[in-house]
Amino acid sequence: MATRNVDVAVVGTGPGGYVAAIRCAQLGLSVAAVEDDRPGGVCLNWGCIPTKALLRNAEVVNLFERAAEFGIRLAGFEANYAEAIQRSRRVADRMSKGVEFLFRKNKITLVPGRGVLKSRDTVEVAGTGGNETIQAKAVILATGSEPKSLPGVPIDEKTVISSNGAVRSERSPKSIVVIGAGAVGVEFADVYAAYGAQVTILEALPRLVPIEDEEVSKELARAFRRRSIEMKTGVKVASVTPGGPGVMVETDAGKVEAEQALMAVGRGAKVTGLGLEALSVRLDRGFVRVSPRMETSVPGVYAIGDMVGPPLLAHKAMAEGVVAAEAIAGRSPRPLDYGNVPACTYCRPQIASVGLTEAKAREAGREVSIGKFPFTANGKAVALGDTEGFVKVVADKASGEILGVHIVGPEATEIIHEFAVGRTLEATLEEIIHTIHAHPTLSEAALEATLGALGQAIHI
Amino acid sequence: MAITKVVMPKLSEAMETGKIIKWLKKEGDRVQGGDILAEIETDKADVEMEAFGAGVLRKILVSAGEKAPVGTLIGVIAEPAEDIAAVLASAPIPAAAGAGAAGGASARNDTRSAPPAAPVAAPSGPAAPVVATVGAGAGSGRVSFRAEEPAPALTAPTAAATGRVKASPLAKKIAAQTGVDLRLIRGSGPGGRIIRRDVEAATVTVAAAPVAAAPVAAAPVTAPVLPGVEYEDRPLSQIRAAIARRMPLSKAPVPHFYVTSEVAMDRAWELREELNALEGQPKISVNDFVVRACALALLKHPGVNASFQGESIRVWHRAHIGIAVALEDGLITPVLRDSHAKSLAQIAVEARDLAERARARKLRATELSGATFSISNLGMYDVTEFSAIINPPEGAILAVGSVRRVAVVDDAGLGVGRRMALTLSCDHRVMDGAMGARFLQDVKRLLEEPLRLLV
Repeated sequence: MATRNVDVAVVGTGPGGYVAAIRCAQLGLSVAAVEDDRPGGVCLNWGCIPTKALLRNAEVVNLFERAAEFGIRLAGFEANYAEAIQRSRRVADRMSKGVEFLFRKNKITLVPGRGVLKSRDTVEVAGTGGNETIQAKAVILATGSEPKSLPGVPIDEKTVISSNGAVRSERSPKSIVVIGAGAVGVEFADVYAAYGAQVTILEALPRLVPIEDEEVSKELARAFRRRSIEMKTGVKVASVTPGGPGVMVETDAGKVEAEQALMAVGRGAKVTGLGLEALSVRLDRGFVRVSPRMETSVPGVYAIGDMVGPPLLAHKAMAEGVVAAEAIAGRSPRPLDYGNVPACTYCRPQIASVGLTEAKAREAGREVSIGKFPFTANGKAVALGDTEGFVKVVADKASGEILGVHIVGPEATEIIHEFAVGRTLEATLEEIIHTIHAHPTLSEAALEATLGALGQAIHI
Repeated sequence: MAITKVVMPKLSEAMETGKIIKWLKKEGDRVQGGDILAEIETDKADVEMEAFGAGVLRKILVSAGEKAPVGTLIGVIAEPAEDIAAVLASAPIPAAAGAGAAGGASARNDTRSAPPAAPVAAPSGPAAPVVATVGAGAGSGRVSFRAEEPAPALTAPTAAATGRVKASPLAKKIAAQTGVDLRLIRGSGPGGRIIRRDVEAATVTVAAAPVAAAPVAAAPVTAPVLPGVEYEDRPLSQIRAAIARRMPLSKAPVPHFYVTSEVAMDRAWELREELNALEGQPKISVNDFVVRACALALLKHPGVNASFQGESIRVWHRAHIGIAVALEDGLITPVLRDSHAKSLAQIAVEARDLAERARARKLRATELSGATFSISNLGMYDVTEFSAIINPPEGAILAVGSVRRVAVVDDAGLGVGRRMALTLSCDHRVMDGAMGARFLQDVKRLLEEPLRLLV
């Protein structure tokens, strides 16, 4: 068996792993990256990126439907779902190739195959092109997560599908039950509804996107209702069995039949079969336990991304990858501020947030002032014909500290960063309002909501 | 052999920065685990920091009078032959080295890394010596993996000659509202910028600097007391500020309820006089009786000796009793560990020692944390009864009033008796009224039949 000696072995090349690998290389360390699928991991290949391509399709379909509003008469159009999937595959391929290019550029060796930790400095790779052993001075584990299901409900990727099956299947169902109304659930609900499916969303908690601010959930529900997406919240799924046109979902509030059911009830860390048990790498509630410098309980073995716990977000994994790489290189990386990780959902209207919801801020005993500004009063949004939603700023009444910001509406996921930067710099409401915002932009809604928190909104 | 990193210990929940009052060991001194290395001033008290590793104190990185954020490397213990260069390289630049060294160390062309910190012999392979990062504090003798704090501030004072203070807008605002003088604070943010946590950790330090044109600290900090002056704003002492921060965190989220009982102290009083008449025995106070009674009762009622943990209740099987001691500018609660296993005489000796050292601010970190129950006694102030605020995560606190001579009616008619009121404040998330009442009943019985305290 061939043996390869490197400074750092990275297991998994999703957004956490590939960023860690590149940062290690930048810091002068030799790196081997092990991947048993395609470079880029779930994010680039089966998650964030292809779904964004599909959601863009959904948006275009919606614009075509609204063409008359813009004075454009169409003699009819056909939205081909198979071609939407094919387009999303091309996008994913391009991004995955991009990672391969970055690896070559940074002289990172890509080792195809499944990596197993044999000791704290040895990774064994069962590869398609034979086995090999990597001897490394440090190891970064970045194996990510996979979709979970409900107990007793196997995912066959035919009638009961996960996001993995959904991004691959070229056939759009006529009807689908989406189980779980987190980011994954509402994004697919949006895509399927745009392509004409009868969509029913089931959520055990009392509202859609339950971790977001309550007003955001309400706004999204209103928008979905307008698009005839059915929503049942606060319902428990009892069973998912074959029946009707494909699948029958029984809940404590009646049953729903559909061609398919999409399981979007969360993701679990991939921590088995990696050799963690033998090395006694400490876990905590199913996730690998790490120090603020991303080191596991075994010195020299680091872990990052979804496998170390929530939030399960690609950008959090990337930031952790940088921390791990710098720690290994002997730097003193600044630990992540987990209270300042933006969360984005790309359904229409988009949702983005950072920091505390209003309810959480009050729970924490803060006296808050709230500023809210609807996109209906924003010139750019009106010109775009995209006026759903609002920007909501939650601030500390006394100090003007920006405790949290919640945006639902057009390009919410782009607007949020103004506040993320602000929070990193410990800006208060004052600094935002003294920053001149270009007119006309959607970001003016951010300014106005901030003014609103001080009781000074101009345009409402 | 191991190198022991000595870091600024976290001595209390709220502590973010500590100041070295003095080093009790010099560079080159040999130290054993348990030796007192230095005295540290925190927001709560002055405490002694113990060494957890043996060897020679090779290097002192933060000198007396300097402040450092929790987790900062402040010294290194190692054998003389050990190479400590790598460990030192990872440390923040000490104040003495100042700006010159900072410039030299940050010669890396890298926009993404944290402030100047030279690489630790990269990368840390398995062959590298085991570096244990330890700080003082309860149970921190183990090796722990912890982040090296972001290279905390070039320790040069933030206010440059120009008078410009590098501080975040939020830090400035909080400073203005609380009267903290930013020029007296060292920033722990990028490039030594003062950020929110630095201001929150600091309190007003009066008269330490001339009150010149501070950019934001608007509030006048001191004013001499003049006749005719309507009022004055007194700065918070470190300890008062800590209490002001912590108590709302107890009173608001912890649902308190109170149970009061009156105890006949006649027999305990007599017994105490008899005991105190014995030669060669330590003087025993009423409070020592109460501590002993509580310790025994807590063992019998572990439900009261318990902490709310969110999804569970931690029930303690040992009684570590916090005894509140009033100081001039605040209050501190040293902990009498394993009270249940101590005789009345032992309790008397140890409680007095703790109280004396608390007043002299000579307590160790381990003596300030880990209480499972507390007692607050205002008996010496002629207080009939009062109720105390629970000190989380403890589940209850007992407030002890004065022993008063009152008229009592018993089978023999009207007489004079000694009575003392006890009020138990309970965390309703941990226990109910009946549980608190049963505990209090037992404490009462033990005090009313005080020979039980001797067996």
